[in-house]
Amino acid sequence: MNRRTFLRAAGALAGIAAFSCEDRREARRIEGALGGLSHVDLKWGKAPCRYCGTGCGVEVGVHGGKVVAVRGDAASPVNRGLLCVKGYHLPAMLYGKDRLLHPMRRNPDGKGFARISWDEALDLIAARFGETLKAHGPEAVAIYGSGQWTVFDGYAALKWFKGGLRSNQIEANARLCMASAVMGFMTQFQSDEPMGCYEDLEAGDDFVLWGNNMAEMHPVLFSRILERKRTSPGSRIVDIATRHTPTSDHADLYVEIRPGTDLALANGILHLLVSEGRVDEGFVKENVVFRRGIEDLERIGYGAAGAQAERYAFQDAARDSSLDDLKAFLADYAPARASAITGVPEAQIRALADLYGDPKRGTVSLWCMGVNQHVRGTWMNNLITDLHLLTGKISRPGNNPFSLTGQPSACGTVREVGTLANRLPADGVVTSKEHRSKVEAVWGLPEGTIPEKPGHHTVDMFRALARGEIRAMWIQVTNPMVSLPNLSRFERKPGDGRFIVVSDIYPTPTTDIADVILPSAAWVEREGVFGNTERRTQQWDKLVEPPGEAREDALQIIQVAKRMGLGHLFPWPEDAFHEPLFEEYRKLTLGTGKDLASYEDLRRTRGMLWPVVDGKETRYRYAAGHDPYVKKPKGVHFYKAKGYGEKAAVWLRPYHPPAESPDAEYPFWLSTGRVLEHWHTGSMTRRVKELHQAVPAAYVEVNRADALELGIRTGDLVRVETRRGSLELRAQVDGRGKTPKGSLFVAFFDEKRLVNRLTLDAMDSISKEPDYKKCAARVRKA
Amino acid sequence: MRRSVNRALLAALAAALEACSGGGAEEGPPAARSPATVRAARRAFDGAPPVIPHAPFGMACSSCHGASGVQVEGVGYAPPSPHEATAGLGASARCLQCHVFRETAAVFVASAFEGLRQDLRRGRRLNPLAPPVIPHQTLLRENCAACHTGPAAREEIRCTHPERVRCTQCHVAVQASEEFLR
Repeated sequence: MNRRTFLRAAGALAGIAAFSCEDRREARRIEGALGGLSHVDLKWGKAPCRYCGTGCGVEVGVHGGKVVAVRGDAASPVNRGLLCVKGYHLPAMLYGKDRLLHPMRRNPDGKGFARISWDEALDLIAARFGETLKAHGPEAVAIYGSGQWTVFDGYAALKWFKGGLRSNQIEANARLCMASAVMGFMTQFQSDEPMGCYEDLEAGDDFVLWGNNMAEMHPVLFSRILERKRTSPGSRIVDIATRHTPTSDHADLYVEIRPGTDLALANGILHLLVSEGRVDEGFVKENVVFRRGIEDLERIGYGAAGAQAERYAFQDAARDSSLDDLKAFLADYAPARASAITGVPEAQIRALADLYGDPKRGTVSLWCMGVNQHVRGTWMNNLITDLHLLTGKISRPGNNPFSLTGQPSACGTVREVGTLANRLPADGVVTSKEHRSKVEAVWGLPEGTIPEKPGHHTVDMFRALARGEIRAMWIQVTNPMVSLPNLSRFERKPGDGRFIVVSDIYPTPTTDIADVILPSAAWVEREGVFGNTERRTQQWDKLVEPPGEAREDALQIIQVAKRMGLGHLFPWPEDAFHEPLFEEYRKLTLGTGKDLASYEDLRRTRGMLWPVVDGKETRYRYAAGHDPYVKKPKGVHFYKAKGYGEKAAVWLRPYHPPAESPDAEYPFWLSTGRVLEHWHTGSMTRRVKELHQAVPAAYVEVNRADALELGIRTGDLVRVETRRGSLELRAQVDGRGKTPKGSLFVAFFDEKRLVNRLTLDAMDSISKEPDYKKCAARVRKA
Repeated sequence: MRRSVNRALLAALAAALEACSGGGAEEGPPAARSPATVRAARRAFDGAPPVIPHAPFGMACSSCHGASGVQVEGVGYAPPSPHEATAGLGASARCLQCHVFRETAAVFVASAFEGLRQDLRRGRRLNPLAPPVIPHQTLLRENCAACHTGPAAREEIRCTHPERVRCTQCHVAVQASEEFLR
């Protein structure tokens, strides 16, 4: 008996249960089962939450090799101890009874799967990828990951593909969610990711939410804003939305806007700022250049119809512009016209201009999928940032355009490591010889190894898979058979000659189409690094063993690479590769302004905001006194934008209508999104009892007036149809979300009710991110 | 006025509560359920926010779970919220951020999850006259009075001296099981 068990036994004796008789019996049962545990008996480790891009810190309570509790990490500067209902129920996410435990291979008759060994699985993958590469070239193989890849997974995948297989066919589902924000920041600052941090939420006065239901999608950040409002009653929330949500309940100004017309609203605000002399001319002169791109609707298209429906490769081209040019351009967006397009009253447009134009008030713009999943998403990102650049409300505490992310490492892995067809680490692109050479040098590979031509962007990658040009694909940590738009395009047929590997932790509609299924280790079952929305890199250690034979995704890739004769890419011991791999990756970031913290510092802290120079993090990028790369004594310096003379670019971007709008045949708008309780495609949260029981199935939100007209009541089974498909759902009238007349909303988490069979695969012209938010539909009682 | 809740409304609440508790949310007949079992059935693990054990009433949560709670005759007591607005976080502004209703008793896939259970041992005292330590975690449970005073407080944990409002002056929360060793 050691001291600890002695103390526990003594406690049990002395602590004669304090409650009722039944409680005393219950206490004895619990003592029997769990040895009379209390929170102090658990081993607690730190980790970021597994779900959204906020990156809340959690403490993970481990006992007997299992996660038995979590608590909000009060030491985390992100959430200060608070979580949302998903975060509080994290432990149960690991223990669904259908966890994938062993590698499996599809049976020769195509029906069902049989267990195979890891060696068999890895040999098979290496052989099939090798054969495909040899017979059909590097464009015929692909790897598709996600913003849930840890930095290790993403870096291993990138190095294996771009450095080993010499293929740029690597994509991640962040293309479906953050690509427009990436292209927004790239076109304006020539460097990705926001300049501000979450402290903006306490420093700002006005919070303008552009198409963003923060109360459900970034609940803990919304709590910070609500607390700002509570403690500083003058601060305001403006909710610009196409649907009244729990966020709108807390808004001081609710601006209901017609779908897709946010471009006209932003231009309407810009019109007022420019025409009423509210531009900060000193700031603009010192820090801003003006650019225009291709604006011709016919030339750009939407990527969804005609020849574009197979391959969409529009390229924007920049030309110089000026403040005078902007003034002339904005003549089209006088309040009356902006109001006519958007349906927003002129008074609200003026109120927004007053808010952005008031130099005494701190203004933070926040956005996520409403702006990014948009056929002109890059443009909309540009226009929001234009509002801040023209008023000088940028790179200052409480004044920033702040793009939010929906996945835990969309920033840390996909955007920073660069696991996209066109990108390399730390803002590199494959089209630049300089960037390729730098990466090749660090990887110890000969010049010219990394191909110059970008691979397919995500939607085109799956179109190429459907066409048969891509023959071998590995999908990790994501569920495209639920999340791709216009899903029925990508269905597999038996004997189609493709070879698809899927690594996941549970069976999903994507493992259903696999030839080989690999069981992955999840979250704290392995060591990891995520990077959140505010540039915070967060590390965690492995806290429990993965179940069965599950292995982490990075190791799966490394083991296949070794079988293909590419072991030199991963010269580290398999049980201790994390730190040296991270330090190699970190070399690519040092000196770029995107410098990551050392692994040692990450272990020690609750994450650090890059750039980290001399062990110090940066809360405000480009800001004198904050960012070590800024040499000016005060003000801002957009030092990454070498192509603009180290200034930021204001882009002139017109209004274009959505790809598909309601008409006589399909008179409703259909929008899709998430609910608070479920994360992404629900493969994790639906296995948590409390979350599933709260929202067991997807439903369609119908406006009350429409419902009356159609004889639909809450709970009725209705049929929603678009030109692409049809779906039966229960109707909900005036639930937590209230759609305006003529508008429907369906959440996409439910694999049994796949709203992505209905959505349109139109996409942003520049980022190639699909627009899940707008298509034409009809609804009737089933 | 605040106390005189409409009788008809109370009856409706009572009916709704009863209907809900019969819905399988808490298993077993009432007689067989100890308060600790009922408490555990509402939580994934000790420390997780409880699910809401009644159907939505279409009212603000604070109507019943406000500063002092509300006694619903024949049903029970709607306890006040134990959350104090914590520095930097409007923890109490969006109840549904952490507490969810149950729409169904079914599960999507069965789970093997076994969470930490409530530690039912009494907080230790140095001697019978010394103040007991707080045996549970206190983050987001800052308002001791919510559970330890008033009609919501079970007898066993009811505070004998609610007029002394600075609880943590004498009661400290246990943070570690190890003893101090130099």
